[in-house]
Amino acid sequence: MKELEKTKRISIASVLFILVILIALLAYKRPKHLYSENTKSTLEKITTENYFTNLTELKDTNVVLIDVRSQFDFEKGHLENAVNIYAPEILNDTNSKFFDELKKNNNSVILYGNTPNEVIAPYMLLYQLGYKNIKILTAEITYSKNKVISKDVEIEKSKYDINGFIQESIKKASIKAKPKPEVVKTPKKIIPIKKKKKLPVEGGC
Amino acid sequence: MVNRKLAKVLKFRYTILAAILVLLAAGLVLLPKYEKHEGINPEELLSNVISPERYITSDELAHKIINQDPSFLLIDVRDEENFKKYSLPNAINIPLKNLLKEDFEGYINQSQFDVVFLSNDNLYADQAWVLCNRLGYKNLHVLKGGINNWFNTIINPAKPNENMASIDFQLYSNRKAASMFFGVAYPEQVKKKPVVVKKVTPRKVVPIKKKKKLPVEGGC
Repeated sequence: MKELEKTKRISIASVLFILVILIALLAYKRPKHLYSENTKSTLEKITTENYFTNLTELKDTNVVLIDVRSQFDFEKGHLENAVNIYAPEILNDTNSKFFDELKKNNNSVILYGNTPNEVIAPYMLLYQLGYKNIKILTAEITYSKNKVISKDVEIEKSKYDINGFIQESIKKASIKAKPKPEVVKTPKKIIPIKKKKKLPVEGGC
Repeated sequence: MVNRKLAKVLKFRYTILAAILVLLAAGLVLLPKYEKHEGINPEELLSNVISPERYITSDELAHKIINQDPSFLLIDVRDEENFKKYSLPNAINIPLKNLLKEDFEGYINQSQFDVVFLSNDNLYADQAWVLCNRLGYKNLHVLKGGINNWFNTIINPAKPNENMASIDFQLYSNRKAASMFFGVAYPEQVKKKPVVVKKVTPRKVVPIKKKKKLPVEGGC
């Protein structure tokens, strides 16, 4: 009898154990989005590969143009054939299905916003999720008289020579300043003369 | 009879349990690989990325530098060549390529200082920020507009028009003062100096009065 009780205990414990594992497996939800790149490989690729395009390359067919600005900006004016996916909604179910489809069909996707700076963060996120068919449009979108104007811009260009500017400003300022220091020197020369007067007075003592 | 049948089944109880556990273990292999899934999850990263909280304006940064605020660390993610040409005072050069190398982790992954990334524009700095934010590093910021905007606002601020608001004039005078701090000289700045020097000359008259005291002492 004692042995039977022991086996009962063991079997009850094991059944409970298996139940816990089964429940855990059933409760496990596969996350909707998984990274396919870790940070180091992403960094390596974004510093070596070219993922920028300009306006002339837009004419290719097989390209899907995506506007990451808000719907408000999109309605005000957008590039031809663009699809509006607002950046904060980029991971929605419908949008990620859309991206998956584009990836399957081998379409190349071009993202654009008011400036390339606006696009870089959504791009980085999508890249790390494994959408590698994406490029960034290096253009600035502005409006003039209700029309959209798009202009190519260079990325991360060093526009100004700051050291040169500072040196020049010092030069310019010092040229004008030169005559004045000479005026300053003259009153100093008066002082030693006065000191000589002190000496004879002390000699009187 | 029942007991005998039960005993027969119970003979194999350990093998049955073992088989079930092996099956479950095999199930684990099917789970997605987590090694690549480092850092915070994508949804969280997206909400961080969208928020403009990370940006620090050039005026704020200039204010911090001038007041010698010790609580922040400037990190220039451009290449060495650009860094040598010009960078902000006390900036540390970590080219974007080397950002995640172990040598530099100590600069970025700490809670003591606020880290400010900067580049020519804020594009490279943003990239650095996104990667570090995914890894869960704290206190990261990006200089809005980068060095180019720094030049336009702090080093070479645009003069406001006469019809602009007084705030703009105040801002301009603040920025001009800041630019002087960073080494820019203005012609009118030098013009003011001689005025100061002229005030010094009457001070030199003062020793004459002292001389009058001296002969009195000599009389003693």
